[in-house]
Amino acid sequence: MIQTKNRRWIGSALTNLALIAICYLMIYPVLYGLMTSFKTQGTVLTMPPSFLPPKWSLDGYRAVMNSDMFRVYLPNTAINAIISSLVTMPIAALAAYSFSRYKFRWSKALQLAILGLMMIPGLTNLVAIYRIGSVLKLMNTHFILIIIYTAGGVPFTLWIIKAFFDAIPREMEEAALIDGCSPLMSLRYVVIPLSMPGLVSGFLMNFVYTWNEFLAAVVLLTANSARTATVGLYDFQSAYEIAYHVLTAACIVIMLPVVVTFVVARKSFFRAMMDGALKG
Amino acid sequence: MVSMQRRKSLKVRWEKAFPYWLLVPAMAVLVLAQVYPTLYSIYMSFNKLKGGKLTWIGVDNFLRLLRSADFLNSLEKTAVFAGGYLVLTLALAMCVALLLNRREFLTPVYMTILFIPWVLSDVVSGTMWRWMFQQDYGIVQVALNPFVGNRSLLSNDVGAMLVMIVSSTWRSLAFTSLVLLGALQTIPKEIKEAAALEGTSDLRFFWDFTLPIIKPTLLVITLLTSIGGINSLGLILATTNGGPGNATTTASVLLFREAWKYGDFGMASALAVFMFVINMALTFVYFRVLKERD
Repeated sequence: MIQTKNRRWIGSALTNLALIAICYLMIYPVLYGLMTSFKTQGTVLTMPPSFLPPKWSLDGYRAVMNSDMFRVYLPNTAINAIISSLVTMPIAALAAYSFSRYKFRWSKALQLAILGLMMIPGLTNLVAIYRIGSVLKLMNTHFILIIIYTAGGVPFTLWIIKAFFDAIPREMEEAALIDGCSPLMSLRYVVIPLSMPGLVSGFLMNFVYTWNEFLAAVVLLTANSARTATVGLYDFQSAYEIAYHVLTAACIVIMLPVVVTFVVARKSFFRAMMDGALKG
Repeated sequence: MVSMQRRKSLKVRWEKAFPYWLLVPAMAVLVLAQVYPTLYSIYMSFNKLKGGKLTWIGVDNFLRLLRSADFLNSLEKTAVFAGGYLVLTLALAMCVALLLNRREFLTPVYMTILFIPWVLSDVVSGTMWRWMFQQDYGIVQVALNPFVGNRSLLSNDVGAMLVMIVSSTWRSLAFTSLVLLGALQTIPKEIKEAAALEGTSDLRFFWDFTLPIIKPTLLVITLLTSIGGINSLGLILATTNGGPGNATTTASVLLFREAWKYGDFGMASALAVFMFVINMALTFVYFRVLKERD
C-alpha cells in the first residue's frame, strides 16, 4: 500500500516536471521577446546575449506608441476583427440551427460542401480575390477583408456551434414551441443560452483568426492608412532591422488582446474542442 | 374562406422553406467570397493577365508551371516541410496529451501556457524566432554557435528548414494535443482499472488499448495536420521569406512569390489550381475517414 502510494507520488512529480519543462520551452520565445521589449537601443545587442534587460526601459514601447502601429494599424485591425467576428456568429448560428433541427433535401450535401470549403486554403482563392478586388475598386477597404474573414470563419464556426445544438434534447425546445414560441424565438431563448460554450469558443477562434490574419491583409492593403497590425509589423521587420526592442515591443502590443481574450474564454474553448468539434 | 385557405397554404409553404431561409446568409457570403473566387481562379489559370486584361491562352500556364525548375524544387520543399512537421507534431502532441491526461492539480495552468503560441500571429511568431536566431546576437543562435560554425541556422539551407519545422510545430502543438486529449478521455475507466488489476505495463496498455481507441481521431488529426503543413505560408514568409535562396520555398511560398513579387498571375493561378486539387484529394480522404468512423 505504502509502495503504491510512493509510486503514485513519484509518477505525479515526474509528470509535473515534464510538463513544466515543456511549458517553459513553449513559452520561452515569448518570454525572451517580452524581456527584449524592455531593453534599450544600447543594451539590445550585447555579447553574450542576456535574457533579462540589464536596465529596464520603456523605449521600445514609446517608439511603438509614436509610430503608425498605434495610431493606424491597430485600430484598423480592431475594426476588421471585431466586426467580422460579430457578423460571423449569427450567420453561423442560423445555419447551424437549420442543419441541426430540420430534415430537408440537400441538407447532407450542403453540410459536406461547407466542410469541404473549410479545407480550401485561403491562399488558393487569393489570386482571384486580388483581381476581383482591383476590378471592383475594393482594395484598401475594410469591407473586402471583413467579407473574406466572415466567409473564412462561417464554416468552422458553424461546425462548432452545430455540435452543441445537436447535443440539446429536442424535448426542451418542444415545450417552448407548444407554448407558441416561433422557431427563431426558441433558438434565441432556449438553444443559444444552452450552447454558450460553443458560441464563446466560436467567437474566440474567429477573433484570434481575424486579429492575426496576414496573407489577405498584406495582399489587399497597399495603402498605409488601411494596413493592419500584422502587415505593419511585417514592414517593421525591415524598417527596424536590428532595433529588436522596438520589434518585440510591437509584438507584445499586438498579441496582448488575443492572449487576454483567450485566457478569458479558455474554459469554454477547451470544452468545445475536447467534446469533439472534429466529430463531424 | 378562400383567403383563409390561402393564408394557411402560405404558412405551410413558409414553414417548408424555413430551413432554407436560415441558410441564406451563410450561403450568400460563402458563394460570394469562397465559391466564386475559386471558380474565378480556375478561369484565370487559362488566361494571361496583361495590362489589366485577361486573354485566353489555354493550358499554357500549366505547361510553363510543369516545366519550371522552381516548381519541382517547391514540391520537394513542401514534402520535406510537411513530412517533418507532421511527424514532429504528432509525436510531441501524443506525449503532451498523455501527460495532460494524468490530470494533475496544475493541468489547467499548463494547458493555458501551452496554448499561448497558438494564439500568436504568424508575423509575431516569425519576428520572435528571427530574433532568437539572429546571426550575431540571437540568444539561441549564440548558444548553438560552437556546433554550427558561427553561422546563423537561418542562413543555411538545412538549418532554415529545421527552424521552420520546429517553429511550425511549436505553433500547432497545443491544438493537436488538445484534440488527442479529448480522444484519450473517451477511454472507459473500467478498462484502465481492469488493466491496473492485471498489472499491465503502461507501454503495453498504450499499444493494446489506447492506440486502437484513439485511432479514428488520430487519423483525422493526421490528415488535418498534413493539410495544414502543405498549405503553411504565413509563418514561413515572416521567418525566412522562403530563403535562403529557395531553401524553404514551398509550393505556397512559390505561389505567393509568382503573384506578388513577379506579377505572374497566370502562373500563380495555375499553381493555385494545382494546390486546390491536392487539397480536394486530401479532403476526399478526410471525408472517407469521417464516414468510416461513424
